[in-house]
Parts: sequence; C-alpha cells; structure tokens
Amino acid sequence: MAKNLTGDLTVASANRLSDGVVVFLDDSGHWTSKFERAAVARDKRASEILLERAKAEAFSVVDPFLVAVSQDDDGTIEPLSLREKIRVSGLTFQAIAAEAVRYA
Amino acid sequence: MPDTYFYRYDDFDRTLLSERVDQFRDQVRRRLSGELTEEQFKPLRLTNGLYLQLHAYMLRIAIPYGTLSTKQLRKLAEIARKYDRGYGHFTTRQNLQLNWIKLEDAPDAVAALAEVDMHAIQTSGNVIRNTTADHFAGAAADEIEDPRIWCEMIRQWSTLHPEFSFLPRKFKIAITGSPNDRAAVRVHDVGLRLWRNPEGQVGFEVIVGGGLGRTPIIGKTLREFLPKEDLLAYLEAVLRVYNRYGRRDNIYKARIKILVHELGVDKMREEVEAEFASTRDSALKLDPQTIEAITSQFAPPPLPHRPAMVGAVEALKIEDRDFALWLKSNTAPHRMAGYRIVTASLKPAGAPPGDASAAQMDGVADIADAYSWGEVRVSHEQNLVLPHVAIEDLPAVYAVLSKLGFAEANVGKITDIIACPGLDYCALANARSIPVAQSLSNHFSNLARQHDIGDLKVKISGCINACGHHHVGHIGILGVDKNGVELYQISLGGDVDFGKTSLGEIIGPAVGADEIVEAVDALVATYLERRREGERFVETYRRIGAEPFKERVYGAV
Amino acid sequence: MALYREGHIAPIDDDGPVALPLAEWLQAPTQAVALANTDQFNALRTHLGRLKLIALNFPKYTDGRAYSQARLLRGRLGYRGELRATGQVLLDQLPFMLRCGFDSFESEQAGFGAALARARTLFSVVYQGAEDDRLPASLLRLKRRNASEKLAAE
Repeated sequence: MAKNLTGDLTVASANRLSDGVVVFLDDSGHWTSKFERAAVARDKRASEILLERAKAEAFSVVDPFLVAVSQDDDGTIEPLSLREKIRVSGLTFQAIAAEAVRYA
Repeated sequence: MPDTYFYRYDDFDRTLLSERVDQFRDQVRRRLSGELTEEQFKPLRLTNGLYLQLHAYMLRIAIPYGTLSTKQLRKLAEIARKYDRGYGHFTTRQNLQLNWIKLEDAPDAVAALAEVDMHAIQTSGNVIRNTTADHFAGAAADEIEDPRIWCEMIRQWSTLHPEFSFLPRKFKIAITGSPNDRAAVRVHDVGLRLWRNPEGQVGFEVIVGGGLGRTPIIGKTLREFLPKEDLLAYLEAVLRVYNRYGRRDNIYKARIKILVHELGVDKMREEVEAEFASTRDSALKLDPQTIEAITSQFAPPPLPHRPAMVGAVEALKIEDRDFALWLKSNTAPHRMAGYRIVTASLKPAGAPPGDASAAQMDGVADIADAYSWGEVRVSHEQNLVLPHVAIEDLPAVYAVLSKLGFAEANVGKITDIIACPGLDYCALANARSIPVAQSLSNHFSNLARQHDIGDLKVKISGCINACGHHHVGHIGILGVDKNGVELYQISLGGDVDFGKTSLGEIIGPAVGADEIVEAVDALVATYLERRREGERFVETYRRIGAEPFKERVYGAV
Repeated sequence: MALYREGHIAPIDDDGPVALPLAEWLQAPTQAVALANTDQFNALRTHLGRLKLIALNFPKYTDGRAYSQARLLRGRLGYRGELRATGQVLLDQLPFMLRCGFDSFESEQAGFGAALARARTLFSVVYQGAEDDRLPASLLRLKRRNASEKLAAE
C-alpha cells in the first residue's frame, strides 16, 4: 500500500498479474511499464476518478493503488516515497549476475 | 551406495508432489483466466510459496532441514537461470528465494523442482512451514542424535494436513539434536530439543510460543521430556489447541505465542495434555518400523579414516595468514577425527548477505561432489555448509571456495551479517537492509581486525516482522520509516545460544542510514576498550550494561 | 445458497430438517444443529445418535476452526450423520474438507459441483490419517515392506 504521503499529484500503479511487473495507468486507460507515460491526476477529485478507472481496468493487474508524485517544471514526474522510487527505478544496489563467481 | 545420505523420495512422495504441481497449475490457470479473484487466489499461491513483491513475484523454495544434494543445488541454479535473473537468496529459514519469477512461469518452475524431489509447498501462508534443523546435523561433534530424522517425520505429517491448512497464522518448527543449539529453538512457535534423560532415553524437550516479529517472546517449556514415538501425536494436540483457540481477530495477535501468553503456559499445557490424552494412542503414535525406515535413510556416509594431523595444512597455516583465519572461523569440529565441517561464507565483503549466483551454486555443487560426499547444507545464518570435509582436503577446498568468493574468513564475525531483503524487494519493508549490510561489511572488511573483534552477530531487519532476526543479534538493527526517511534502531544484547537466549534492548533514538557505520564503530570501540581477556562482545555488554555503549554512540553521532 | 453432495454435479434440493443455532437447539433439540466455529459441543454428545445434520460454519474461508470441529465430531465423538460446510466455501478447500469428514457443502462458486466430483482424485497419496479412512503413505510403505519380506521368506 502507498505510504501515507499527502501530495496533490498522483498516478495509479499496480503489478501486472502475469509477471508482477510494475505498471502505471496511462492517459488512454492502458497499463504501461513506462512510468513517464503514467496519467497524472492533479487534485483530490481527479485522483479518485483515476483510482476508479484503475480499478475498472484491474482484470490484468493486481490491487491498483495511488502513488503520490512530484512534477518538475519540464513535466518530469517522480514518486515522493522511497518505496515507490524503488518500484520505479529498481534495486538500489547491483545484484550479482547469473554467471558471476564474485560479487563486484 | 545410495544417491544421498538423507531422506530419499519414493513413489509415494513423488506422486504427491506431481499431483500438487498439477493442482497448482490449475489454480494459476484459473487466476490468469479470471475465474479466481486475487482475494481467493492469494492464500492459494502463498501456500505454494509464491509472493507478490515490489517488482515481481517471489518464489520461496523449501530446503527441508537445510539439506541439499548437489543434483538439487544444480537444479536450483538451472531454475534461477531459466525462470529468474540467475541468482537466489538463501534465507534465515534455510529456504531459497527467487526474486524475479513470473506467475505464468511459476507452475513450470515448481514442476522443475519436482524433478529433483523439491517443492515450495507451505513455505508461506498460515500453515505449518518448513521445519528447520541444526545445519551441522549428522556431522557435529556435540550431537546426541540427528534432528533431521524428526524433521522428515514432521515434513510428511504436516504436508497438506487437512485440519491445519488454515491456521490463525504461520507456524514454524525447529529442531536441534545438540546441546549447543544452532537452530534457535527458543524463538520458534514450537522448538524441539533432543536430549538424553537420566534414564538414558533420548526424547524431546518441547518449547512453545517463542518468536520474533512485532512481539518478541522467548519460548517456554511445555514438556520437559516427550518420548520420540509420541512426537506427531503431541504436535497434533498442540496444533489442534492452537487452531481452535488461537486469536483470529487481529493479525498481530494470531501467533501461538500470544495464545500461550494470554492463557499462561500452565493452562496451555493443561489444554494440550488433555488433547494429547486422546491422540497419544492413535495411529499417530510412531511405529518402530517407521522410525527405523526413516532413520536408516539418514545413515551417515561411510567416511574412511583420514589423518587428523596433516603436515601440509600446518605448513599452509604458517604461510598463509588468511587460510589460518579461515580454518579458525569457517571450519568446525566434526564427529570424526580427520574431518571438519566447512562453512562457505555467502558474505564476501560488500555483497548482499545470503545471495548466490547460478554459477556460484554450480561451483559449490562441484566442490561438494569432490570433497563433501555430494551434500550441502543451508544455515539459518545464510551461509552454505560442506558437512564432511577431510582435513587433508582443506587447502584444496579453501582454494576453490576462494575462486567463488565464498572463502571470506568471517563466519560468526561482524561481517557475517544476517539481513532480510528489505525495501529493495519486499512489499512489507519500511527501510532497506541490504545496503546497510553492505556498508558495514565494507567498513569492517579487514579480516585480522574482524578476528580481533571476535564473535559478533549483527542482524538487520527492514521492518518489525524481523525476518533479519534483529532481536537476537548481539547488535540488532531495525529499519523504520519516519515521515518517508529511513532510520535505524539499534539494540544490543540479543542472543540465541542455548540457555542464553535473550532479546536485545534498544539503546536510544534511531539513527540515519549514513550514521549506522559510525554507530557500530562506536559500539565496537567501547567493547574493545572494556573487554576482559577472552570475553565476547555480548558478554562484555552483559557485564557492563548498555550505558557505556550509549554514551559512546550518542556522544559520537 | 446452493447445496452440493458427492455424487451430484448439480446442486441438490435441501429437503432435510432446518439446522438451528446451538443455543436455540439446546432449548428444544431437533435432528439438526448449526454450530458457530467457537461453539463447544460436549452438550451434543448425548444426542449424537438422533442428529441427522450438523452444519459447521466458515465465516471466511481462511478461518479454519471448523476443520478441527469436524474431525472431533467424526473421530472423537463418532458422529455419522450429515456434516455440512456453510459460509464461505470455495472449491479449493474441498480436498481438505472431505478428509476432515464433511459430506455436504453450501457454495455459490461456479464449477463447484464439477470440482466436488474430482476432489477425491486430486491426491492419490496422503501423508496423514484423517476422517476419510485413507491410509497414510507411512502405513502403505510398511505394508508393502512387510509383504515383500514375507514374499522373500516364502
């Protein structure tokens, strides 16, 4: 579940049912793994509508929820919480590779 | 010669496993087609070890009593390559977690496991989980009896148990066969300790209601001595009392430890004994022939005589300081002269604790085939163990483990850190664990210094569920989230050595991620200044108390 | 609520006696009683021969208390009448329920009757005894071993 961070801007996220990949609802109502394509709701009412839309499109995903984000002047969005940053960007360290015999 | 020196599946076991794979495949199909909702499916996937984490599904594979054949270990490597990103994480419950599994691949992955008599059954969910055992079982010099025989009995009895598949909460059992407990039996829902009574019979001390997590409690003795043939009848009684009366109104109060706490251990004993009076002489009483049939499968390998004193080993000890340190920390006494138990450290400097690549798994399998009778163990301290290595072979084993990066001479030392996956992977975590472990591991990487500091167990959890066992770390570190910032609470004085099981106490306000190394440095410095000859960190702490440590940390940070 | 019994793919008519909640039933015992999963049922002991139906409740399918009640009623008290699962009853519970002695089921889930028809065939091996008289693998192994030893001796 999303951390209790209050921000006005939100995007809708979930994990894809078939493989667990992190996905976001885009403007056309499709789930995308590309965070930058996420539809951004700009106020509380729009967030409620976004979550309703996400739940209506939840057949192929698991448990949609809202993620609080910030947005730069150039339109770049970023999640507020560390948890959601990690969901977007992946591990914060280098995992060992399949054929590696040493951790480097 | 048998394929393995532990339990070998027969047609009954294999049939059940393959039918379970079919059932799971059908459940996944129904979920993908929409016949099952997530709410309906979640308990079904969990009881087959499949979680949904932050980035992907995670498959938790059972390694019963932490014992693996090299064939099984190679299969795990193959599955990691084929269905995951080529590495896995060995856990504090002797399981292996694959972090990048797809739901649509999960049935094929568990079918591949079944090819080598492995599974993910009951590795999650509110069921009886994989029973853990001393990772030195069958090899340790101080062992009374091999605990894995009884783990196997429990494995069979608990698998798909029709009455106990929807318990109030998860249920974890651990067994030790040695007076020096290496299985943490006092912090399990049920801990079993094999011991010999004054009449010379071997049976179990049954300990109930221990556990870490939100409410850490040290288990209490429910029965001093349980005859071995009554094990399953008694466990069925315990589980029935728990299933009927354990709390279900609050997930945080649903473990058996809360029931024991609320009833009191005497009332709990009364309830269990009343139930046991009825189950004791039922079909659950273990038949001597059944006990014998399973015991015989754990007959140890026929270790030939090997020299106990080897000139080449003694010479290398003098020549290579790191080898000498490795011998001290990473090998343990074997019940046979001429042999040692070798621990392959999955904690090289800066590495995520407990992780191994597919290539490393294959490498360990090769070493075990060459030098340890084809057997590998997983320890609850997230290392791998080669149980039967001849002293003569130690230089060769050291050399090949070094090539794999698993010969760090740090077992039991400050960089042999236990850490849960934390916020990098886990949907429940509040803070990251692995990067904290990495910075500590890098900071303290000097082996001579680690050996000077001596035995020091650092355990890190990313949330209150305590998968990193922070409560029983000599130094425990718990990640918390404060307004979106990761902070770490430090506790001191936890321990799981038998008879001395104790829970750590928080020493003060949580510190930031960038302050952890400095704080641990201050704790270590305090110890080094105040220790007496031969005194371990935790013993110094017990003698002088928390104050000197607190002053040093909060003065310094 | 549809009622299922083994041997019938389609729901069957519920033409039996109405199960009364325990407190009510104790006032005037009839042939059918409905137990909450927290009810103690020693009071039933003397009436077991007359009871035709005991309904056990699953308020949520993850609440497994009624499995223990079922085993105690069957195994400990020797109840032989109908044992019905009510509440949230889903087809994936069937292998467990059948083994604990349930023989009729209320469920709204699609495909429940077909699943019931297959439920006893999902697992041909069991590891523990329960209320369905199936022999656990450990006993079958013993039998087989003793048979082969006997054969070898002959």
